[in-house]
Amino acid sequence: MSTHTLDKAAVAQKAATDRASSAGCDTAAPKPPRRGGRPGDGLSVLRTVVWVLMALVVGLPLAALVFQGVQPAARQVFGDPAVAVAAINSVASALGSALLATLAGAVLAVLLERCNIPSRNVLRWLVLLPFLIPPFIGAMSWMALLGANGPVNKALQGLGIDAKLSIFGGWGVVFLLAVHSYPMAYLVIAATLRRIPGNLEEAARISGAGTSQVLGTVLLPLLRPGLLAAFVLTLVANLSDFGIPALIGLPERYTTLTTLVYRYLASSTTSNPLPAVAAIGLLLLVLAVLVVLAQRKLPADTQLGSGPVGQRLSLGGVRIPLTVLLWVSTIIICLVPLFALASQALLPAPGVPLTWENLSMENIVRVATSAGAISGIENSLRLAGGAAVCCTVLGLGIALLLTRGKHRSNTALDVSATLPQALPGLVIAVGWLLIAPMLGIFNTPWVILGAYVMAFLALVVQSVRAPLASVSSTLEEAARSSGASPLRALLDVTTRLAAPAALTGGVVVLLTAVRELTISILLVAPGTQTLGVSIFNLQQAGDYGGASALALLVAMAGILGLSATAALANRRANN
Amino acid sequence: MATLELNGLGHVYENGHVGLSGIELNIRDGEFLALLGPSGSGKTTLLRTIAGFLRPTSGSLAIDGKTMAGEGTWVPPEKRGLGMVFQDHAIWPHLNVAGNVGYPLKLAGVPKTQLNGRVAEVLEQVGLAEYARRKPSALSGGQRQRVALARAIIASPKALLLDEALSALDEPLRARLRLELRALTREEGLTAVHVTHDRAEALGLADRVAVLRDGMIQQVGTPAELLETPVNSFVASFVSDATLFPGTLVDGNFHADHPGLRLPMGSGSQRNHGTRLIGQPLASGSRSRRAVAAVAPTSVRLKPAGSPIHVDNLAGGPLARVTSALYGRHGYETSLDWAGATLRVLVTGWTPKEGDMVRPLVDQAHVFCEEAGAVQGRAA
Repeated sequence: MSTHTLDKAAVAQKAATDRASSAGCDTAAPKPPRRGGRPGDGLSVLRTVVWVLMALVVGLPLAALVFQGVQPAARQVFGDPAVAVAAINSVASALGSALLATLAGAVLAVLLERCNIPSRNVLRWLVLLPFLIPPFIGAMSWMALLGANGPVNKALQGLGIDAKLSIFGGWGVVFLLAVHSYPMAYLVIAATLRRIPGNLEEAARISGAGTSQVLGTVLLPLLRPGLLAAFVLTLVANLSDFGIPALIGLPERYTTLTTLVYRYLASSTTSNPLPAVAAIGLLLLVLAVLVVLAQRKLPADTQLGSGPVGQRLSLGGVRIPLTVLLWVSTIIICLVPLFALASQALLPAPGVPLTWENLSMENIVRVATSAGAISGIENSLRLAGGAAVCCTVLGLGIALLLTRGKHRSNTALDVSATLPQALPGLVIAVGWLLIAPMLGIFNTPWVILGAYVMAFLALVVQSVRAPLASVSSTLEEAARSSGASPLRALLDVTTRLAAPAALTGGVVVLLTAVRELTISILLVAPGTQTLGVSIFNLQQAGDYGGASALALLVAMAGILGLSATAALANRRANN
Repeated sequence: MATLELNGLGHVYENGHVGLSGIELNIRDGEFLALLGPSGSGKTTLLRTIAGFLRPTSGSLAIDGKTMAGEGTWVPPEKRGLGMVFQDHAIWPHLNVAGNVGYPLKLAGVPKTQLNGRVAEVLEQVGLAEYARRKPSALSGGQRQRVALARAIIASPKALLLDEALSALDEPLRARLRLELRALTREEGLTAVHVTHDRAEALGLADRVAVLRDGMIQQVGTPAELLETPVNSFVASFVSDATLFPGTLVDGNFHADHPGLRLPMGSGSQRNHGTRLIGQPLASGSRSRRAVAAVAPTSVRLKPAGSPIHVDNLAGGPLARVTSALYGRHGYETSLDWAGATLRVLVTGWTPKEGDMVRPLVDQAHVFCEEAGAVQGRAA
């Protein structure tokens, strides 16, 4: 999973880098100047196919969104004070949570990657746990923990304290968004930290700097680009999360743009919600692009040398207190809510005391055999599987085109493949909502599939690209000089070498898509309910037991699946 | 400016690998000492132990008589008052040249005006006076190296540590910086420890050279001592590229296992003429012992195969075939296949060709008896 997030970071930066240079490059690729290859040598066929698919999957939805969003009917929506409030809430909660997440990510990264904290390997896995759980399931866990009848408030009552803790409202949204995005910040910052050569720190030491001076005068200044990347990444991700503001914000009438769009689409009062929705989508698109561009304007990554990472910083006397603090906060933030979710799933009704005798599989069995859940699981598996296959094949093709041979259309291809990942899920969903009637796939699962492919394509492209770029082109040239045609050499050598990475990317797509909520809930139609939507609807209907039972299964599958994938990918990377 | 004393210093890595063992070394005030050895010999480990980045697992280290590491004592690197130049410069990319160079003084709390004055002075010394405001990314490799050097000496360190400091540079620049480094350390009277795997650099720069192998010091001596009196076959082969011939020592005479090698016999003495015997002299009458003769490339003459031989005992010996001859600054660095042994010879005055048949005549060799019993490197 770490590769996945880092890719996201890379995408954000890359997208920022390339956007300026490639504005308006969406026109058909000009004829490539060929060196050696004959016309129709296979590579150009591949390029044409890839470009047609990309125009359909990425170009069309964005074009439709921009076109619809600038119509006069659409612009009227900005006169609505509710939209202004939601926009402010979105930006404020995204900014606040991104700041918190970056701060937490930085502290954790420095402590766990560079200091002599004992048991840091276990801690590292634990602090990354919220990353493996979809945000809406995290929100459900905290609702279970801090609900009116939840364990915390019960305990407070037992102590005779009348104050009730509540997670609902704006602060709860900011807190939970931060909880679910700090692991991403951690991974980005830790990656930057690992690229700081140890001798830069040693040079400071030998010049007379102690631990805190090394941190303040060398590590932190060098970490700045990483902090910035982490901030932008979490900001964009949090700008359009649906699950957390819907579950935590709405009960307190804290509306964000995403939940507002959901309300427009779900309620039957607005006759035609599409213009308003397109305008909001365009607004978010502009916000996301501005954020990424702003990052681009700021000073770029300082050039670092290469070299082994420095020795662990000694924390001296604060080592043990810090370790205890880390453990306590990690357990409270990462584990306790999961336990609350589990106990809610395993107890027959809310408020039943938690004892061994009261635990039952009733909820899990009931939910797992209910028609709604089964069709949700089936839909999600089918959609996620389809998205994984499409992304793997298309992503592999794109990565091959990008790494093999220079071509004038490569920059544009790169941007269109990686840009969607820097976009809020809402933008993608609205884009597909707008083109669905044109393509005749309105209210079918194909809309969701298309949006999934657009959203997750970059996962495969990024996971294939790095290993492919490190494969020397001489391997392919060796095949050519042994008599293979360009296409044959590409298939026999390069594609073969890239296949494992593409497969890993595909598995990550599968695991991410199967629990997706933001896109699915905006595109859902009768009969195309996905797993995430099923859980969300159960929760909204008040069936907390059933919802948490299903959520627990998803959380467990996610933790196991993503941990295993990451472990496998790491092992392959180390071989 | 200080002395460094290392007593029985050892370092065992966490994985059990022995990095250093039994290091005895006294570095004199103002001395330039080179640590020379093949990769993995422990020279960098030793330097990092002196710097304080590694904690010795045994023995002690004292700077100017003050214990830095040893039984219950540990002074972290930032409190040792040393200066260090790293292999890839380790210039901080977020500070400009003056910021990099002035950093040690800033930490020491030197007032701003005084600091600026001293930075200018040191930059002048390394020839970078106009570069104070430059960003490191705008510097060439040699300039970065000079910045690193300026930073290392600005706070008048007790000793200057150089970790392969010149290795990352191209050859002509490297030679120039070598000279500048030597001039600078002389001028400042700096005690310097210089790690290198470049033999010419170690021999050319240093007052004394310590040769390391497998974490142990083999020999400490002046460059001339290393060339003229190596203490064991490793030092001979590593420092002067000597070819090693195993053999037997009987009554002070060396008999090589190799069919061709005959060391010239002296007439008056029992010893081979031109042979330096290193190791415990044999008590007369004792049995023969295994020994190794080291033949330096400069100690061999090559005779054309057909030429008459005046030395009787060389007749009938196998001829050697030239397998390669590389032109170098001091002559042809020639490799011979001599009855299965690969002999390196420096040829001057004529041009050997691949496939030429020649007869090697060995003028001089160092004979080492029983490596285990050989004299250990004398720590001065």
